[in-house]
Amino acid sequence: MTTPDLIQVSEYVWELPAVGGMRVPGRVYADRELIQEVRDDQSLVQVANVAHLPGILRYSMAMPDIHFGYGFPIGGVAAFSVEEGIVSPGGVGYDINCGCRLLATDLRTDDVGGRMKPLIDQLFRDVPSGVGASGAIERLSRKELEKILVRGAAWAVERGYGSKEDLEHTEDGGTLPGADPGAVGERAWVRGQDQVGTLGSGNHFLEIQTVDRVFDAAAAAAYGLREGQITIMVHCGSRGFGYQVCEDSLETMASASHRYGIELPDRQLACAPVTSPEGRQYLAAMACAANYAWANRQMIMHLTEQALLRALRMSPKDLGLRLVYDVAHNIAKLETHEVEGVPVDACVHRKGATRAFGPGRSEIPAAYREIGQPVLIPGDMGTASFICRGADKSMAETFGSTCHGAGRVMSRSQARKRAKGRSIERELESAGVLVRSQGRKTLAEEMPEAYKDVGQVVAVMDGAGISPRVARLRPLGVIKG
Amino acid sequence: MGERPRHWDTGARDEAYAELEHPADLFVEIWGEDLSALFGNALFALYDQMVELEGLGAERTETIEVCGPDSEETLRSLLSEALYIFAAEGFVANAARLDVRTASEGPLQVTAHLWGETLDRRRHTLLAEVKAVTYHQLTVGRTAEGGWRATVLFDV
Repeated sequence: MTTPDLIQVSEYVWELPAVGGMRVPGRVYADRELIQEVRDDQSLVQVANVAHLPGILRYSMAMPDIHFGYGFPIGGVAAFSVEEGIVSPGGVGYDINCGCRLLATDLRTDDVGGRMKPLIDQLFRDVPSGVGASGAIERLSRKELEKILVRGAAWAVERGYGSKEDLEHTEDGGTLPGADPGAVGERAWVRGQDQVGTLGSGNHFLEIQTVDRVFDAAAAAAYGLREGQITIMVHCGSRGFGYQVCEDSLETMASASHRYGIELPDRQLACAPVTSPEGRQYLAAMACAANYAWANRQMIMHLTEQALLRALRMSPKDLGLRLVYDVAHNIAKLETHEVEGVPVDACVHRKGATRAFGPGRSEIPAAYREIGQPVLIPGDMGTASFICRGADKSMAETFGSTCHGAGRVMSRSQARKRAKGRSIERELESAGVLVRSQGRKTLAEEMPEAYKDVGQVVAVMDGAGISPRVARLRPLGVIKG
Repeated sequence: MGERPRHWDTGARDEAYAELEHPADLFVEIWGEDLSALFGNALFALYDQMVELEGLGAERTETIEVCGPDSEETLRSLLSEALYIFAAEGFVANAARLDVRTASEGPLQVTAHLWGETLDRRRHTLLAEVKAVTYHQLTVGRTAEGGWRATVLFDV
């Protein structure tokens, strides 16, 4: 299949006309330069493929950080009618509820200046990271794991690892409803026993940052952010538990697609009607994995606080650690959206896309409701991350969704070649970023040049009015898996 | 188990598999003179990407049995099973003996006897986390020279 032609609809929106079996057109958010990169890989074909699926509403969408995935593109957003549409594990991905959590402190950058090294070393010791990391907390009994699957971050808070406010500042309160441990296969149970409170590897990280620029003073104030402040960002997901839930569901979905007569342009798009037994079972198991991820990030927050207190010899009151917000960027959610003026129950797939609900939505915590929800966009380890806010236009155009990060421009092997003979660690250190990593390979693969410019990606969504920028965070210390 | 296992030679990995360009994930091309060799080399590729295999002992054995409607599906199942045993029990192999039975063009049955060790973070070097063996761009076919070639995309 050749890449179909794009029509520019407005400065930042490009349309892929509906041809052949496409039920709706595709829409890509990008500027002129980014759209060129998109044209060069095969991700547009994936946008078109998603548009073939039954019950898709309005458009098959892609954010500016789009890149070629399997089945759905990464950076893809697709909403399906609950009544007539489908749910697809390929539209969520293996790392269910991979997401981002931002912690604010009362520390100023000057307060930690000379203490970055012991600080990052302490965090590296106390927060398990790397391939197959485990053992942050004792091995969970089946009963305890079951509670995590149902309660999510609330489980951690009930055990003293956090506060009620943390839950208020987490998407869905850190508990996705509809989780049914009975829908989870035996293998996921085994893999889930010892990975709560671990970062994992790949592009996951824990980062100490400084707020180096504020774009929107009112929104920043509402989120409790100001220039020169120390923040901490956590990027990770549901670990082996989530991968296994996805893996197990793909087999069921392959036969379900066949049974319901759904024609698939790509096997990885396997799906089932939202209301079918297979669809419900997937959503119930996916919710368990989403809750596992929220419990995981809540535990990591706790481990982080302990490490900071120890390294800085400070009281919790002086540290003032608090949760700004926690967002999911690999998930399918049942939400109500207005389509052509009528409220419609939709199953919104965000695969490498972040919810960006605008002002007034009841799902947003009271403190942020007038401003719109905080949107956390992690960047690469050498550049910057961004905090944005959900705007009204996001509700009107993208089912309340925006981008999720920088997106790769270089393959991992290319990056390793490029890094040969260099010390990425030293390069970053001289740029003012201390890095600790379990593996040299990860550092090379994750080097800043391997990623799109996150600033450019965020600027597109700001320019399009979907998620205006609030603040930019520059990394000072990074833990990579 | 009778026959001697085939030890994987990390020095000759270029003859077993190669990494192909892919923007985000790990995409590999695998070769073998027959289906047994192909499937064995695919296992080699998986373990070789996850763990430093050099110096790995052969004190533990595992057997994986899978069957599938075609060679692609069977290959994916085999790799997926190996990945699960790695994730759940820390088993890493560095040698294998494969037995592939096929009716004709149709269903395939594979038994893989694996030799290796239980992962020990103090002694072994972990290289990358493979999340899954995807169905995406999964191919198995004959080469012009009469051998076999497969492509597999691992989510990392």
